Amino acid sequence: MEKRKNKKIIIKVSDLSKSFNDNIVLKNINFKLFEGESLAIIGASGSGKSVLLKNIIGILEPDKGSIQINDTEMVNLPRNLKEKILLDLGITFQHGALFDSLKNWENIIFKIANKKKMNNKQGKKLAFSIIKKLGLQPEILDLYPSEISGGMQKRVAIARAICGNPKILLFDEPTSGLDPVTGSLIDQLIKTAVRTVGGSAITITHDMASVFRIADKVMLIDNKTISWSGTPKDMFNSTNAKIQEFIKPINSEFLLND
Amino acid sequence: MLYLFLNILGTTGKKFISFIANIGHFFIFFGSAIYWTFKPPWYLKKIFQQILDIGYFSLPVVGLTTFFSGMVLALQTYNGFTDFNSESTVARIVLTSITRELGPVLTGLMVAGRIGAKMAAEIATMRVTEQIDALGTLGTRPMQYLIAPKIIASLVCIPILVLIGNTIGILGGYIIAIYKLNFNPSLYLYATIEYLQLIDIIQGTVKAAIFGLIISMVSCYFGYNASKGAEGVGFATTSSVVISSVMILTSTYIITALFFG
Repeated sequence: MEKRKNKKIIIKVSDLSKSFNDNIVLKNINFKLFEGESLAIIGASGSGKSVLLKNIIGILEPDKGSIQINDTEMVNLPRNLKEKILLDLGITFQHGALFDSLKNWENIIFKIANKKKMNNKQGKKLAFSIIKKLGLQPEILDLYPSEISGGMQKRVAIARAICGNPKILLFDEPTSGLDPVTGSLIDQLIKTAVRTVGGSAITITHDMASVFRIADKVMLIDNKTISWSGTPKDMFNSTNAKIQEFIKPINSEFLLND
Repeated sequence: MLYLFLNILGTTGKKFISFIANIGHFFIFFGSAIYWTFKPPWYLKKIFQQILDIGYFSLPVVGLTTFFSGMVLALQTYNGFTDFNSESTVARIVLTSITRELGPVLTGLMVAGRIGAKMAAEIATMRVTEQIDALGTLGTRPMQYLIAPKIIASLVCIPILVLIGNTIGILGGYIIAIYKLNFNPSLYLYATIEYLQLIDIIQGTVKAAIFGLIISMVSCYFGYNASKGAEGVGFATTSSVVISSVMILTSTYIITALFFG
């Protein structure tokens, strides 16, 4: 097993390519996510960031290449085995993907309730213990996702992802559509989730302030491939034109000192 | 000219291949849905919700449709058969038409419009908003959680709805025959019971079960394979109602031919 400074590889993507009909979206993607590491994937809209995430979680199958999660090859893995691995992952989708027909508390404990029988009181109690970390009020638990704001829906989706303390967290634009205060709260939560449970996270984001708050490593997807990777600090010394574009609006000194 | 001909041929061929591929895709979905319908665990709460929705909440529309159909049938039969002095056949015509054909077909079409559209829209919305993808990542099989309860509930509810619809339709005919056409109530009832045959009820129930399968499968198929956002949801909904209705009308002939052909 390959390790970096005694750290285990959690996710290893090798030579991954994906296309839709004749449109090549990703070409020869290679990267590793180590235990306890928080990786941010940045890139322009339509660059294939979400497609990469969907390949990792098995919603899409790559045309070629390999994806390993905890040393298990995910590509062409039978569905029942894939499901077992996915249960150890906490995933948020770009638009929340909360179940409209379920109340917020039922959404949050959905994965746990499938494994363990619990009554409504226990379920709500568990859901409440999670949402209070996200700055949400208990009143929203009995409401449906359509009855709360977009920002709240995003936080409920994050609560669903972190319910059960999964060690691998995958976030697709977790702070988009949130106000700066809530965005910062979510970032703090991702950071805490990674550090306290020794988890690892991949976050897809456009929000550079978020990248500097949460990421140990940054990866840029451009022109169908990983065109740059390094630490957030490395971005300021990079000559990559796209990286320069991304960090231009950022008050670098403030963020780094922060 | 040759270029135009080849172009038309190419386009037609492409459409035909796509049509065949879609049929193949549907049958793969059908097989998978049947497999997951019979495989435990069953989500009893979801099945109960669907039974309530498909069965209980469809009762008013099914009842109203079959009631007025029975009334119209009694009037039309009476008017048509008076010329041949055969008014006494009204009870038999109403009974046979309702139990063999009108009851199952009208119930099927009403449920296709009401429930088929709802199923397709619900699943299509879940597809385009990534809820189905999310289900798969939360240890739940979408086929088992979303599709199977709808198929089970349709198979259970639509035959029951047809039996209730038949009774209401016959009642509609009875009311017109007695209160408007001045038939003798006892004689009308006697004629109805005398001509009531088990094979008609079996045939109607078999039709209803097949219609239930058609409605749930077609609606879930279009919903499950929806794409392109709101437009895709609209397409799935329309397609499910149109295809279900056409399949109901086609299959009713085949079943009738098999029973009485």
